[in-house]
Amino acid sequence: MNPFTLQGKTILITGASSGIGACTARLCADMGATLVLSARSEQKLADVKDTLSGEEHRIIQADVTKEDQLRHLVEQLPALDGLVHSAGMVKAFPVKFIGEKQIEQLFALNYKGPIKLNSFLLKAKKINNGGAVVFMSSISSFFAHKGGALYAGSKAALNAYSKALALEYAEKKIRSNVIAAAMVKTPLFDRAEQAVSKEMMDKHGDMYPLGFGEPEDIAHAIVFLLSDASRWITGTELIMDGGLSAGH
Amino acid sequence: MEIKSFIHKLEEEFEELEKGTLEPTTSFRDLEEWSSMYALILIALMETEYEVAITGEDLNQIETVQDLFHIVEARRKAS
Repeated sequence: MNPFTLQGKTILITGASSGIGACTARLCADMGATLVLSARSEQKLADVKDTLSGEEHRIIQADVTKEDQLRHLVEQLPALDGLVHSAGMVKAFPVKFIGEKQIEQLFALNYKGPIKLNSFLLKAKKINNGGAVVFMSSISSFFAHKGGALYAGSKAALNAYSKALALEYAEKKIRSNVIAAAMVKTPLFDRAEQAVSKEMMDKHGDMYPLGFGEPEDIAHAIVFLLSDASRWITGTELIMDGGLSAGH
Repeated sequence: MEIKSFIHKLEEEFEELEKGTLEPTTSFRDLEEWSSMYALILIALMETEYEVAITGEDLNQIETVQDLFHIVEARRKAS
């Protein structure tokens, strides 16, 4: 059997309505997985579902920052063989502007949402033995940028959760890994470009030996981490940055 | 809101800037101290002090302290 296939696997993807989540959904479906797509917008999810190959896919609307919606999502879900946490946001705050409101804004979506979802699923025994968890993290969790204290912090906290999860569930062969990505051309990229200006983003892009990433680049790696081909890989951070942090 | 108090707020945040440097007609990019960090500070300051969202692109479009003041005023009225 092809170890890279996702045939027979049921996989949940959060943030599936756009960007890396939507792109990953399409590739997972092509690789034979049955998907559950989740995000805040039911309409956008339905649009993504229409582009998927295969018939068995489902959508479940949920805002991962709302505890009642998270619980409802967990109740609705079937047992999973794979889980991709790709819901997230980017926002810059210089350190002297950080207060409770800013911390809560970034951590609610980037950290609390994904880890609570993951923990609730484990408690409900809805991640099958041999299952794989993938968190979308960021290169900024070890390669910081000005204004990125909270964003990078929320992602660094995810990295730590993923490692503890990997250790606690190794016996059940449930694996957990993060992808530490640099800038990828998604709708989030467009918003970031608007926030900092195109000029600054172009300058940033010059630091990438392979240029900015495409959503497909990340989706390829996620599929690998979900497949049995990566069965000996757990608790790691896969750096995907087009060579940015290799040196200069 | 008065432009005087607005300028006072900016000078408070830009610590390296000598008090009294900023005028309504001062162009941000002409400031010796101007940097990408200043842009980040301006964006965060407008949000925390005035609850107005501005972007780096907005800052690219404008020249002076007065221009920024007008954007903030207009968006406060609109919200």
